[in-house]
Amino acid sequence: MISRRKQARNLILGLAFLTPNICGMLVFVVFPVLFAIMLAFTNWDLRLHNMWKPDAKLEFVGLGNFIRLIREGDFLRYFGNTLFLMMGIPFGIAASLGAAILLSKDTRGGGRRVYLWVCATFGLIVSVAMLTVVGMGGTGMAILMVGLAGVVVVLGLSGGVTAYRTLFYAPHFTAGVATYILWKKLYNPETGPINAGVRPVMDAATSAVNAMPPSALHLGLWLGFALIVLLLAWSLSKLRQMWSDGDAGSAALILPLILLLLPTVMAWVWSTTRGQALWLTAGVLAVILWQGVRVAGAGRDFPSRPSAGTGTSLMLALFVMVFQFVLLGLAAVAWNLPDLAARPGGLGSPTWLADYNWAKPAIMIMGFWGAIGSNNMLLYLAALTNVPEELYEAANIDGASRFQKFWHVTWPQLAPTTFFIAVMSTIGGLQGGFEMARVMTKGGPAGSTTTLAYFIYTEGFDTGRLSFASATAWALFLLVFSVTMFNWKFGNKYVNE
Amino acid sequence: MKLLFAAIAVVLAAAAFGTWWSYPDQQSEVPVIYWVTDRNPARDMQVELFHQWLVKNGYTVPGAEGKPEPAVRLRLDTANREVSKQVIQGVSGVAGDLLDIGSGTGMRYFQSIGLLRDVTDWGRQLKFDPSYTYAAIEPEITLDGRQYMFPCNVAVTMYWIHKGTFEKYGVPVPPKRWTFDQFEAIGKQLVEAANPPGQRRTVFFADGVVLELMYRSLGLGKFNETGTRCTLDDPRFVAVLERVYKWTYVDHLLPTAADRQGFDTQQGYGGPTLQLFNSGNFAMFYSGRYALIQLRKFKDPQGGPLALSVSEPPHGGFPSTTIATRAAGMYIGSPNPELARLFQAFLASEDYNMQIVRDADALPPIPQYAQTELFNRPPDHPNEWGCHEMFFNAAQDIAIGGDYSPFVLDTIANREVNRVHELFMNDMRSAKEAAAEVAQRVNAEIARSLQEQPKLRARYDQLVQQQKLIDQYKAQGKAIPLELVTSTFYRAYYRRTNQAAPETDENAP
Repeated sequence: MISRRKQARNLILGLAFLTPNICGMLVFVVFPVLFAIMLAFTNWDLRLHNMWKPDAKLEFVGLGNFIRLIREGDFLRYFGNTLFLMMGIPFGIAASLGAAILLSKDTRGGGRRVYLWVCATFGLIVSVAMLTVVGMGGTGMAILMVGLAGVVVVLGLSGGVTAYRTLFYAPHFTAGVATYILWKKLYNPETGPINAGVRPVMDAATSAVNAMPPSALHLGLWLGFALIVLLLAWSLSKLRQMWSDGDAGSAALILPLILLLLPTVMAWVWSTTRGQALWLTAGVLAVILWQGVRVAGAGRDFPSRPSAGTGTSLMLALFVMVFQFVLLGLAAVAWNLPDLAARPGGLGSPTWLADYNWAKPAIMIMGFWGAIGSNNMLLYLAALTNVPEELYEAANIDGASRFQKFWHVTWPQLAPTTFFIAVMSTIGGLQGGFEMARVMTKGGPAGSTTTLAYFIYTEGFDTGRLSFASATAWALFLLVFSVTMFNWKFGNKYVNE
Repeated sequence: MKLLFAAIAVVLAAAAFGTWWSYPDQQSEVPVIYWVTDRNPARDMQVELFHQWLVKNGYTVPGAEGKPEPAVRLRLDTANREVSKQVIQGVSGVAGDLLDIGSGTGMRYFQSIGLLRDVTDWGRQLKFDPSYTYAAIEPEITLDGRQYMFPCNVAVTMYWIHKGTFEKYGVPVPPKRWTFDQFEAIGKQLVEAANPPGQRRTVFFADGVVLELMYRSLGLGKFNETGTRCTLDDPRFVAVLERVYKWTYVDHLLPTAADRQGFDTQQGYGGPTLQLFNSGNFAMFYSGRYALIQLRKFKDPQGGPLALSVSEPPHGGFPSTTIATRAAGMYIGSPNPELARLFQAFLASEDYNMQIVRDADALPPIPQYAQTELFNRPPDHPNEWGCHEMFFNAAQDIAIGGDYSPFVLDTIANREVNRVHELFMNDMRSAKEAAAEVAQRVNAEIARSLQEQPKLRARYDQLVQQQKLIDQYKAQGKAIPLELVTSTFYRAYYRRTNQAAPETDENAP
């Protein structure tokens, strides 16, 4: 039994050790956060209010900064950029799951296989050296890449899955700036390895496209529209089923329905698809009408609360919407292909970071690469080890295929992890993009890669309008907070289901 | 565990003390001032020169064995040159004593925050007032008649020409002064000779053009004569945008953004442009005389120095160029302003100016040192003879400072111009739409400034009245009284095109 005096002494001692940390947090975290709230409602501008201008008075401007955010359009434009980059999140999650599944298998090979791979790799490296000596550096580089792949295989065969896990996780512990500089080199339009691979494909595609009648290629647009409509029909059918079974309330379906219609709205906004948007709209209306008739005809089997199933239906709609947007983009590309291929340079390879339209996808691809070997992969790896082996044994006895085992055993068991990853990735996506924009593109071309985080920085320090920058930061916080609240409200239910 | 924590605390405390002790202030027996500047080997020499100058001019204290020592020690701070860092440190009271600032854009931003000390009186007293430097640089170092900085060097932008590249392709070297059409004709000749058809284009006529110089040469400023409205929604700006687009995507005289990224060269002082100039990928590039710091290190294929020439920027009727400065301003919170001002006086000294002349670090702040034999014909660099005086003459004759509006930060205006320019070059806007958009957005910023800073309103209203008068004079085809015009560009334009009323006071307002 510890005496009261000793308890008090221990408490004081503990607090003494904690005091520096607590003070640091109060001074460098709590105070700035609270101060920023106050700033957001004032007119604080570094040019007007600072220690060298003691006479200037801060004025309370109420919601003025927030109203300006909405009215001036830049916030919405850069929020749009942020959302665009976030469209890569579902793909990143899927890739990290794929990586985790691959990395949960043992890759260690027998002695003979390792020996063969070592020999092959050695042979390649010797060939590279010889080619370089005789002046065929380019071919040498190609073989060096193949040799590197050989080394990786040997590593996996001899070191087992640990070697691959380390390699896959490398992007996460590599310094961000170094990674971005590396990607800038990869994206070099003339000498980058990405375009070195893409260029022959695009040249071949140019020949193929030029050889085809434009109407055949325009079919791609109609196919894309058809798939968008089919996806809408499938998701509406799912939502109707949920509503009918009492898994989703009427109010819970409003936002998902709006999300599902956004790609159609965008088809009207984009100049590329505007001319054909009427047909897409007709298809969408037909689906809605058809589902409406079915709802009216079949009625509802099990009533539920209006907000029931909000999380599930919203997640479903979000994923479908992302795929619809991807299809819409591909459809637009198909429509423009004949014109693009007919230009003097043909389709050409993308100029990535130098092009207004390619800069965002370029950054998204880089984010996708980073997401594969991220903490998400580690979380999935941990979750995979927790899936009970008996479930797989039972599935084996039932004669389930590999895919069936994944779909009916692994995927449901990973639901809590998937949901956590989805929410955390969304939060990270909303806050992200600062380093990429600053190092790779300075937010350009023409602001196409400026995210909200970078916008806050430039508004604060390029113009001195700290109150406006604070308001932007708090608007971003409200968005992040809404996502977190969404998780808190619906996450557990979704996971338990 | 407690002992371990205690030991760590003691080590950290000792490290903190050690860090404090290692500060130059603690090591020196005389006050120390800090100069926030760029990382450049020449700076160390300049610091040493400053210390010698102090001794030579009697700014000393008795040192060891009675030997006079400089009354102040100057230390470089090359880690805080970034504007955002300087602003944060400045408003927190801890910026360096002397701040290197880029021209009037930087000065106006720093001055609007209140970070710069007014050195007008000290300038007169210690002979570093604006009358000692180039007349064209005045708007870059003064504001509303008050001086805030003195130039460390002065840069006039011209085209550096690699004569070897022109000779290689059998194209005549461009004239010293030329029009847009001449630029286009010679440029087409060069790129056609240098780039075999059907292959990737690797040789370009120039690294780029300066939009502002182009529309200025058509008689258009970024703002109107009084800085109350952005006037880029003008057909002349539209024409400039279209011409630049043609030169880039049709004639291929200038590299596209992708072409630039396609070059692997990233290394070296001054970025990749100088390396590409040396390798013949750019036959010309825009820069000041300071480019010689790097160009002197390059060799032609025979191992000799590069054969160089200089031309003015091409014009559309009114030849002009920009003049800029890297200038030293004094931080308002400097604990040693009386000593820091000595550094500004040093910048006007012969010792400092001649070092700038020898190093070819742009133009020396005092014009008389740019009229010396050593400046015009450096004995070790005969390949540069004929180039140096081009920069000096341009500074005296055709250079015009920045076009600033008191109602919008230049950083914001430039950001908007760059944004629409990129939108246009990426086919996201037509030239007309881009021009309308930039004017609309900059004018919206002016309106916002007036709303946020009501004290600007009176001056704005007064300038709007002046603008109405100017517009009346223009409509009637009469000469413009210069006392109504606040724009640096229009004052120079009306004067040089004989559109200024003869009886006007050239120094007002």
